Amino acid sequence: MRTFQLAWRNIWRNRRRTLVTVGAMTIALVCTTLYGAMVQGYLATLERDALDAEMGVAQVFAPGYQERPSIYAVIPDADALVARLDAAGMTACARLLGGGLVAAGESSAGAQFRGIDVQRDAAVLVVSRGVVDGAWLDEADPAGVVLGRRLAHTLGVKPGDELVLLSQATDGSIANQLATVRGVLASVGEATDRAGVFLTARAFREFFALEQGAHQVIVKRPDVVDLPALEARITAAAPGQQVLTWRRLMPTVATMIDSVRGLVAFMFFIVNVAIAIVILNAMLMAVFERIREFGILKALGVGPLEVLRLIYAESLFQVVIALGASLVLETPLLVLLSARGLDMSSLAGVSAVGITMASRWYAVVGVSTFTGPAAMMFFVVAAAVLYPAAKAAVIDPVEAMRHA
Amino acid sequence: MDPTQPIVELVDVTRVYRQGSVDVHALRGITLQLLPGEFTALCGPSGSGKTTALNLVGALDRATSGTVRLEGRDLGTLTRRQLSILRRDRIGFVFQAYNLLPVLTAYENAEIVMAVQGVEPARRRARVMELLERVGLKGLEDRRPTELSGGQQQRVAIARAIAAGPAVVLADEPTANVDSETAENLLGLMEELNVKHGVTFLFSTHDPRVMARAKRLVKLVDGRVASDERR
Repeated sequence: MRTFQLAWRNIWRNRRRTLVTVGAMTIALVCTTLYGAMVQGYLATLERDALDAEMGVAQVFAPGYQERPSIYAVIPDADALVARLDAAGMTACARLLGGGLVAAGESSAGAQFRGIDVQRDAAVLVVSRGVVDGAWLDEADPAGVVLGRRLAHTLGVKPGDELVLLSQATDGSIANQLATVRGVLASVGEATDRAGVFLTARAFREFFALEQGAHQVIVKRPDVVDLPALEARITAAAPGQQVLTWRRLMPTVATMIDSVRGLVAFMFFIVNVAIAIVILNAMLMAVFERIREFGILKALGVGPLEVLRLIYAESLFQVVIALGASLVLETPLLVLLSARGLDMSSLAGVSAVGITMASRWYAVVGVSTFTGPAAMMFFVVAAAVLYPAAKAAVIDPVEAMRHA
Repeated sequence: MDPTQPIVELVDVTRVYRQGSVDVHALRGITLQLLPGEFTALCGPSGSGKTTALNLVGALDRATSGTVRLEGRDLGTLTRRQLSILRRDRIGFVFQAYNLLPVLTAYENAEIVMAVQGVEPARRRARVMELLERVGLKGLEDRRPTELSGGQQQRVAIARAIAAGPAVVLADEPTANVDSETAENLLGLMEELNVKHGVTFLFSTHDPRVMARAKRLVKLVDGRVASDERR
């Protein structure tokens, strides 16, 4: 049978209804595609901001450090581990961590000291680019430190001011040292903002009298993240050490991202249910007003499957037209939103679950941006058309031909 | 085809419809045989069972009791799918209201059964063009039903009915919706197809012109065969 020819002509018999149906499908496709791209962009930004500043995609610790942080719990061969990770195609850096106090004048506050390899750290993390006042660390200035935003505010210091660092060294002595504020960071994350004190690894080792090892090895987030595979590769390179992915280190953020994805799926579902109702109604009308014709087709020996195929072909044409129209409408918007983004400066710097909001929100466009909503539309239409199509397919020809 | 073997055979066939709480006896045990090449009219007043009998022979309906056979096959034993294939391959239909598909051209309407059968396009084209010429519609192949007169539409319906080479063509009041002159022309056409090409026709009608031209006239009254006259 000339199924596609018949279907194509049939859909233009009632232009208005077809245009309304195609219009509804187009709007749904445009909305879900734009929404999906923006949410993907939001999640990508969230994930990037959460991971790239100081988290990385995964971290390695000496066994027990995470449960009970201690200056003595070090990865003894941290440099060798970093070299092994490099050899395995990853980029990593080692950090030294310790707690203590920092004071300036009459003010003092708890501090988290972070000793870093300046060059290596900058290759893995972007925290060094977050200095808003002063400058980042310099190996040539071992007395210089960089502070988190709120800590600097609490102490009332600015670049050039003097600080006193205080802690307990690994040899049991009181560690104290004068330091100079080199820079103050923008908002990076809750912990760093409140207590972060960055100093060079050499200065850290001298301050804490720690000659060997590191407390933390951070692995850079690759462009494409296959977390389980990555975890397995890191574990293989770090035998006997504890490997934690960012999802385990920041379960709240991971849950939030999963929740947003769930919310997106739910929104898609709601939009598509509405579309399904429109299509079901349109196709029921289309079937009932042609009931006599289906009777004729059945009388002439056209089988139920062919009738089913005819009605599905009519719906297929409408979906394809809607897909074309939606591509024309949404492509310029997606280009704009992915290039220029949405201005979110009113939320910039606001921290939520340890992550600071970015000032612009960009759309992320990939193949799935289009295939996801399109596949959903095909599925919804297929489900919505099933009832009217089945009704037409099993129609009794004699009864049907009695219809005027 | 054995000319002595009936194409259509109804043996003590009844058909009872349920309308609300009332049983309507449309056919009350009719027995009838139709031989190849016959040009038969079923006549009788409204409600006598003509259309019901045609629907049973056309595998569009099932008998309440009795046996309906087409080319020896008992239609009561066939599945819906088998009946559908039987209608497609062995039965041609001409309806009172033409029943052409409005979105298809005359050519496409005439070829639809062959298309459903899966006949290759070149063979379809040759056959349909020949038939449209035979029914007097050469040059009108590309017209849609709304661009054709009632008589022309019925000619397309006749071409569609015989295109796939059916065993029998069932025509339900084929002249009811056309004027006298067109009715005469249509009857002439069907008569010619019967005489020259051996197409077997079974009409339901109460048109005296059809009755006058029929070679066999079966009169139904109250769902029973009242008379069966061969001419």
